[in-house]
Amino acid sequence: MKYKLSLFLPLFIFVILVGFLLKGLFSDPRQRDSAVVGKSFPEFQLPDLMNEEKVHSLQTLRGEKVLLNVWGTWCITCKYELPFLTKIKTEYGVKVVGIYYDQNHAPEFGQFANIPQIQVEVKQLLAQLGDPYQFHILDLDRTLSLDLGVTGAPETFLMDSNGVIKAHHMGDVNERVWRDKLAPIWNEMQ
Amino acid sequence: MIPELGNFALYIAFGFSLLLSILPFIGLRKSNMGLMQTAPNLAVGLFVFTLFAFLCLVFAFVTDDFTVLNVAQNSNSALPVQYKFAASFGSHEGSFLLWLLMQSGWACAVAVWSKSLPTTMRTRVLMVIGWICVGFYAYIITVSNPFDRTLPFFPVDGADLNPLLQDIGMIIHPPLLYMGYVGMSICFSFAIAALLSGDLDSTWAKWSRPWTAVAWGFLTLGITIGSWWAYSELGWGGWWFWDPVENASLMPWLVATALLHSLAVAEKRNAFKSWTVFLAIASFSLSLLGTFLVRSGVIVSVHAFATDPARGVFILVLLAIVIGGSLLLYSLKAGLIKSVGKFSIFSRESSLWLNNVFLVAATIIVLLGTLLPLVHKEIGLGTISIGEPFFNQMFTYLIVPFALLIGIAPHIRWKQDKPNKFVATPLIICLASVALSYLWLVVEFGEVKGLAWLSTSLFWWIILFTAVELVKTTQKVRLTKLPLSHFAMVLGHVGLAFVIAGVGLTSQYSTERDVKMFVGGSESFSGFDFKFVKLQDVKGPNYDGWAAQIDITQQGQEVSTLLAEKRFYPVQRNTMTEAAIDATFFRDIYISLGEQLPDKGWALRLHLKPYVRWFWFGGIVVAFAGALIVADKRYRQQKSSVRVRSSAAAEIV
Repeated sequence: MKYKLSLFLPLFIFVILVGFLLKGLFSDPRQRDSAVVGKSFPEFQLPDLMNEEKVHSLQTLRGEKVLLNVWGTWCITCKYELPFLTKIKTEYGVKVVGIYYDQNHAPEFGQFANIPQIQVEVKQLLAQLGDPYQFHILDLDRTLSLDLGVTGAPETFLMDSNGVIKAHHMGDVNERVWRDKLAPIWNEMQ
Repeated sequence: MIPELGNFALYIAFGFSLLLSILPFIGLRKSNMGLMQTAPNLAVGLFVFTLFAFLCLVFAFVTDDFTVLNVAQNSNSALPVQYKFAASFGSHEGSFLLWLLMQSGWACAVAVWSKSLPTTMRTRVLMVIGWICVGFYAYIITVSNPFDRTLPFFPVDGADLNPLLQDIGMIIHPPLLYMGYVGMSICFSFAIAALLSGDLDSTWAKWSRPWTAVAWGFLTLGITIGSWWAYSELGWGGWWFWDPVENASLMPWLVATALLHSLAVAEKRNAFKSWTVFLAIASFSLSLLGTFLVRSGVIVSVHAFATDPARGVFILVLLAIVIGGSLLLYSLKAGLIKSVGKFSIFSRESSLWLNNVFLVAATIIVLLGTLLPLVHKEIGLGTISIGEPFFNQMFTYLIVPFALLIGIAPHIRWKQDKPNKFVATPLIICLASVALSYLWLVVEFGEVKGLAWLSTSLFWWIILFTAVELVKTTQKVRLTKLPLSHFAMVLGHVGLAFVIAGVGLTSQYSTERDVKMFVGGSESFSGFDFKFVKLQDVKGPNYDGWAAQIDITQQGQEVSTLLAEKRFYPVQRNTMTEAAIDATFFRDIYISLGEQLPDKGWALRLHLKPYVRWFWFGGIVVAFAGALIVADKRYRQQKSSVRVRSSAAAEIV
């Protein structure tokens, strides 16, 4: 019997397609690659949450590898990751810096964040659940968050001593995420 | 007790499908007439037990049996009874049972209405359907059982049906669409049976053509109604989204349309035979692929069911066996098929060949647009998104030559024709179409937009050509003597013309405005005056809400009074917008009620959508063409049963 090779073409294409579908089945279609990984951390000049006189900038962050955590007291998931972040701080000596993201601040609509109240809430919450943070950068107008491509809280960035972003994680950092995704990058980092 | 009976019936049905796939096979092998004869009986049994299982599930839903997990998750005691019925196929498990009901129903129909077929062919077709069924029934009883219990701790009340699905569309759209999807398995089975037997003359095309036409008619209607439902329910006035799941239904439709045309060539002219077999395999394969895409969570879509990788793997394996197996069989056997019908380059055959090229090109575009993001990501190139602009642009390119072809092709003779006959008439019709549509747009809208002009010109081109064709034909044959399949062609083409004009006009001339209105206030928009008369409370069976009464007038003349609603469904804590629509054949006024603003005003969105109805009207006309093909005398005699015609026609209408 003679076979026509061209008749096998649909089968061939289908087999390749099945391969992709199988692979796609085990990956999350909602996962988006971060656009900031591999780029240097954006320049900023922002006050400290606890002491508005004090100003943080990229220069004060550089020189040491650091984990930056975007969070707010309004964010439920952030509360869940506080104990774990505290744990990696004490156990592995990870330097954790908070980027405080306030939800209500909207000057164009006449709504202003109540900083003293936030400070009280933050202190209470951290006393309760553990305090991993060295300090908090107050990103009231969300300019830094915008530059970082933050879509919600919590989000976590790993920055090396040269100020290059090495990882961007959306959602909470927990045992599994740290072990599988962030720790390998952290340990490689300078 | 009743759910257990249903569960039991499903197991019995699975047993029937096993027997249906084995006994006829042995019968064919050993030329044992008795074993072959079991096939139709087994198919009927399969249907009876599946129907019983389905009714048990419906019973569980209607009687609020929250000890059944499926009921507890998708229904609620306050849900109106018609939506309790719809909820029985609103979940993944339930919808799959509906799928099986359709599948066994088709098998039963083949068993009942194919008595005139040679016994071996009939047995083979039913056996192939049995093979497909084994996979599906195994799936439902192992990983997707709709009768799973919540015992011993069952909830007092259910989690309710998603409010989006609480609409008349949910009751009719899924069954119609599934009839179409699953109906593709029949022409698929005919093709596989023909490949297995090696009898690939034109008879299999003749046999499978009416089945394909019915399935295609259902699919057309299902897609059309789905589009109308999205338009009236989602509240933003869109009628086609190029969502992966819509694409999944469009792909088998495009291929089935190509198949219908190429079946005609295979049957009448003995050409395109191997290609037709391929299309038959492809149309069902794409139906299955669509199911996989919706149910596996591989692709982000608005339609996605709750996803579970175990199910995804199961369906993918099923897909690989059914599609892979049939494509392998095709590649091994199709080489033996000889197409004897010869035709020259300018002939009806080549125009139908072009038709197939366009339809398959469109399918490939949709397939690429749907799957490329997945492939792109999996080979590590990052995430991309392919959206409306890509599809719209590609389809605009394709529809122009396609529509031009639709006009001319029915005038071209089989085998060979003279191109120089086709100069004067097309030229006149071309000029007439362009002029008529220009006039139309200027008079009605006051401005001529390019794409709208193009689409209306194509509309007139098809309409005028079809009219000329009908006049010419009736000079030779009396109108009453004309076969119904000829009218099917006319209706199919005219329906598509309406779709093209509707899409062009509504996409180019639709206007919308966001307004803030107070009770008692007025706004004017596109020549209509809208008065916000009052806001009333609405108390539904399972929701509360407000309705804004809007009186619409045009130059003092009363046009309509509409109630635009905002509903709150407490069980799922969902707020829904029920758009208010004043529809005529030539335009829709579409109002959706937004949020109440801090100053007590209400945000409203007003749409004016000219000719949007033409899209669905065209779709229904096209679907009706499917019914006419089945009603054609040739197939009726062959079936020696008038029941086929009446029941099929009734189902389609």
